[in-house]
Amino acid sequence: MRTVEPTHAPILKVANAAISYETRYGDVEAVRDVSFNVHRAQTFGVVGESGCGKSTVAFGIVDFLGPNGKIVGGSIKFQGQELVGRSQEELRKLRGDQISMVYQDPMQALNPSVTIGDQLAEVLTVHRDIPKNKAWEKSIHMLDRVYMPDSANVMKRYPHQISGGQQQRVVIAMALLNNPALLIMDEPTTALDVTVEAVVLDLIEDLKRDFDTAIVYITHDLGVVARVCNYVGVMYAGEMVEVGSVETIYGNPLHPYTQGLMRCVPKLGATKESSILYPIKGRVPAPKDRPTGACVFAPRCDYATDRCRSEKPSLREVETGHNARCFYSEEIDPDAWRPPKGLIPEISALDEQENGEPIIKIEDLKMYYEQESKSLLSLVGAGEPLYVKAVDNVSLEVPAGKTLGIVGESGCGKSTLAKTIIGLETPREGKAEFLGFDLTQPVSKRDVDLIEELQMVFQNPDSTMNPSYSVGQQIGRPLRRFNAVPGNEVRDEVVRLLNAVRLDASYYRRLPRQLSGGEKQRVGIARAFASRPDLVLCDEPVSALDVSVQAAVLNLLMEIQNEYGTTMMFIAHDLSVVRFFSDYVAVMYLGHLVEFGPAENIYAPPYQPYTEALLSAVPIPDPRATQKHIRLSGTVPSALDPPSGCVFHTRCPRRDLLPDGGKICEEQVPPWQYNTDDHRIYCHIPLEELRKIEPVVTTG
Amino acid sequence: MFVKDYMTRHPVMAEPTMSIVEAQGIMAETQVRHLPVVETGKRLVGLVTRQTLRIPPTELASLNVWEITRFLSNLKLGDVMVRGENVVTTAPDVALEQAAQMMIQHKVGCLPVLDEDVVVGIITEIDMMSQLTALLGGNVAGVRATIRMPNRKGELAKVTGAISDQGWGIYASGGVPTPKDPDHWDCVFKVRDVPREDLLRLLESIEGQEVIDIR
Repeated sequence: MRTVEPTHAPILKVANAAISYETRYGDVEAVRDVSFNVHRAQTFGVVGESGCGKSTVAFGIVDFLGPNGKIVGGSIKFQGQELVGRSQEELRKLRGDQISMVYQDPMQALNPSVTIGDQLAEVLTVHRDIPKNKAWEKSIHMLDRVYMPDSANVMKRYPHQISGGQQQRVVIAMALLNNPALLIMDEPTTALDVTVEAVVLDLIEDLKRDFDTAIVYITHDLGVVARVCNYVGVMYAGEMVEVGSVETIYGNPLHPYTQGLMRCVPKLGATKESSILYPIKGRVPAPKDRPTGACVFAPRCDYATDRCRSEKPSLREVETGHNARCFYSEEIDPDAWRPPKGLIPEISALDEQENGEPIIKIEDLKMYYEQESKSLLSLVGAGEPLYVKAVDNVSLEVPAGKTLGIVGESGCGKSTLAKTIIGLETPREGKAEFLGFDLTQPVSKRDVDLIEELQMVFQNPDSTMNPSYSVGQQIGRPLRRFNAVPGNEVRDEVVRLLNAVRLDASYYRRLPRQLSGGEKQRVGIARAFASRPDLVLCDEPVSALDVSVQAAVLNLLMEIQNEYGTTMMFIAHDLSVVRFFSDYVAVMYLGHLVEFGPAENIYAPPYQPYTEALLSAVPIPDPRATQKHIRLSGTVPSALDPPSGCVFHTRCPRRDLLPDGGKICEEQVPPWQYNTDDHRIYCHIPLEELRKIEPVVTTG
Repeated sequence: MFVKDYMTRHPVMAEPTMSIVEAQGIMAETQVRHLPVVETGKRLVGLVTRQTLRIPPTELASLNVWEITRFLSNLKLGDVMVRGENVVTTAPDVALEQAAQMMIQHKVGCLPVLDEDVVVGIITEIDMMSQLTALLGGNVAGVRATIRMPNRKGELAKVTGAISDQGWGIYASGGVPTPKDPDHWDCVFKVRDVPREDLLRLLESIEGQEVIDIR
């Protein structure tokens, strides 16, 4: 029992740091006046939208800013030593010995052509002069420490031979090999699936406790912050606008920007009505356009006064240990906030609509990819062909004017299903009907009328827009192709569509590179809706966007859907977004549909065990919410050789509810059990048992 | 209670090439009194304390005022530190009282904690003190009773039995041989959520034992 702690000075002390980049326009101040302390065994979270300077702060700590970046002011002290102004050689030594970093994409941090063992051991042989065989032993030990299964064998593999979550564990193990005093993590789980993310976040918690490491954790995800951080700094436009403990920041956000961020994150567990998202108006200014001598947030703030526009607020202590950079923190009551007119769409009419006839009907759809067999027989053409069963026996239907959300881990066949519907892949078996059209035809053989009624919004707006065509041309193309409007009215129609996605006519002549990510996605939406389709498929339309932009795009989609009565299929990995957006939800695992039903039924018991695990992995942006702790072991099995019986049986945490430890799950394909008419669950466990399970999330 | 549970991990460290002026700055900034001196790979080569940084006046006596400045600015930690073999160290799995004994024997205020020759932590008098405080429950509210009992088996059980029979719990306890009286033993108990008078009445009823102090 240790309650009397000797006081320690902070491991990292950043005071009034300012960082600039040299650009064509002269020096641009990316970060200014940032101060915070990080103590041992504590995680300091830095949150904010992209372009707010989060990563610049992280790189600034170890002066990893690149040739045009420089620290222009303030001090950064690590263990009492000033880091600003040190030579690269001295910093290199520190980085190896006492400071480690973990980056977003594990594949970029690992060398693809060197085995994992060699990469890990190298850290020790180079920085610590440890003999190779001993370094190897220590590396295995560290892999065990990060819960890597079969660590001795993993050492001999190459990075591409292990899964994404395991790669990130290798990177974390590598960072911890030298027992660093400070660990800087820059979005370490952003590239991972929710279930894997949950495991990695648990691991970070364990390691922080055992190694007493101080962690600077950079993320845009308010849910992750609530789960792992002790202290939080909210950054906006290069400044720290609010700093405090995680409880105070979430319980009583003092800065209007923090309050705005909280309002635009979908919350799991809340009802659909209460989960309306309120985007923050405007967007983050580029560093050179930031207001000077004024509050940086004033242009987007609902409370801004003349004082905010003519005087710069300083970071001041509003409550004990809770600082905010705002003149009016004491006076602003976030509960009294009402959205300004026009910020959110009126969507009440749609909710009361009765369920119409299904507009799309899919029965036993199968989409297999043929894989080249490695056997000798196949060389002469006599071998058995192997199939990757990307979509297997999927049946579902969507009523007109409703939204179906499709969720699941990566590799579960969500996107393949969308591609099959849109006609980019030809299904192997099964029926798919849409308004009387047959959907099993590839797109090249489809009728123009069908193509017109079936459009898609893609995940990455960058790669789906032709960089050399103007916005007007890109939206006008489908209009001309489908003869939606007479040729001389195309321009007017494009402008009307632009207005519908809240862009003005001046965007007509712009090129994609002149748009921000959110604007590009709006153009993508305008293009998809140009032909007035009856069904729009959205493949992760907001996962590449910042939270405040994400809220605006989601609201926009909802508004347009409301106006045109369009049916939507919405693919996402984020269960809180799906909850907010969908009327129906389909949960997929390894090409199979495992649960289907109205959104509110999916998020309450009875759960399919996989849905339950997914829900318990979602990071919730509320430190007071309690969530069941269910972690799936292992990775998604190969779709080339899916498990027999129930595809989920290899990882199912609820098998023990069945006699013989769920032997039946291995042997027999589970039946569809109907909870209500339109809510069905693919599981052997009787519904009565599943109903007894407690809800995953309870908000305090 | 092992050293690894109570040491400070990631101690502030310095390199032998660091000037003593800078080292003094770091010690003031981080409020530490001991700096393990390490080379590549955090291998211990020496130890610097506030005392070792005090230059003996005899060394300065022969220098004139101009030379003193130069002498001081050229002085590195490597010149003044206690060298590797003379530093008393311990290991993570050593019992806490054993480490304390070493500190008493060698009259040192801190022990760098080494895993092989790599510094993984440091344990100081302050860490020991904070454990003593925790051991006797000095950091929680409650009634603290000191009892003198005969030095024979079964006496301690009388007290703990009596307290637990009442449904009370002992939060912390510790015992030492009574000073200058080998036949007796002094024990301290911290009991929470109990009125002082009730506890006193109970303890006085135990035969052969004496309540020396209750507060």
